[in-house]
Amino acid sequence: MPGKFCVSLTCGKDNTDKSTVAFVVANAAVASDKEALVFLNIEGVRLSQKGYADDIHEDGFAPLKELVENFVKAGGQIYVCSPCFKKRKLDENNLVPGATIVGGAKLVEFMSENCPSVSY
Amino acid sequence: MEEDISAAPADTWDAGDIGCGELVMYLGMRLKAMPGKVLKLIARDPGAPADLPAYCRMTGHKLVHADPASCTYWIEARR
Repeated sequence: MPGKFCVSLTCGKDNTDKSTVAFVVANAAVASDKEALVFLNIEGVRLSQKGYADDIHEDGFAPLKELVENFVKAGGQIYVCSPCFKKRKLDENNLVPGATIVGGAKLVEFMSENCPSVSY
Repeated sequence: MEEDISAAPADTWDAGDIGCGELVMYLGMRLKAMPGKVLKLIARDPGAPADLPAYCRMTGHKLVHADPASCTYWIEARR
């Protein structure tokens, strides 16, 4: 069943349970042949940086780094909220593979046609 | 995009570091006031290279040329 699916993630290390489950669901979407997108925003943008997720491992789940890598390898996209990124003075040259810094127009375009979403 | 951009744009706007919703909101106001004409836009927000093509696809404005290396975009306003 083709189609789009968006996971909005507002958390990083401030809520590792949410950031982990968001990528678990995103992996389920991409594994279900959805055109899957994780939109990192608010504190979630910190996950766009290489190394940030390396020590996040919730009980009962795969390590977050592995979840992110598997999502991208399977064809998932990661959009990173530009103003949230700039506000936190993160490094454009230290993005994880598959991550793209975007503004609202890119997200709106992705979600414009029949795109269910879930937010963490 | 290999279209001719040698003709002088009707207007130039240096948007500086404005990005996301603010960039496209102010851009839309400018383009609405100059139908059929080309705006040379300088936008340094790191999201602009992804955002501006998406914005043009959705709105019907034409992205005539983009040079992300110099943060410069030529956009023809829809008529």
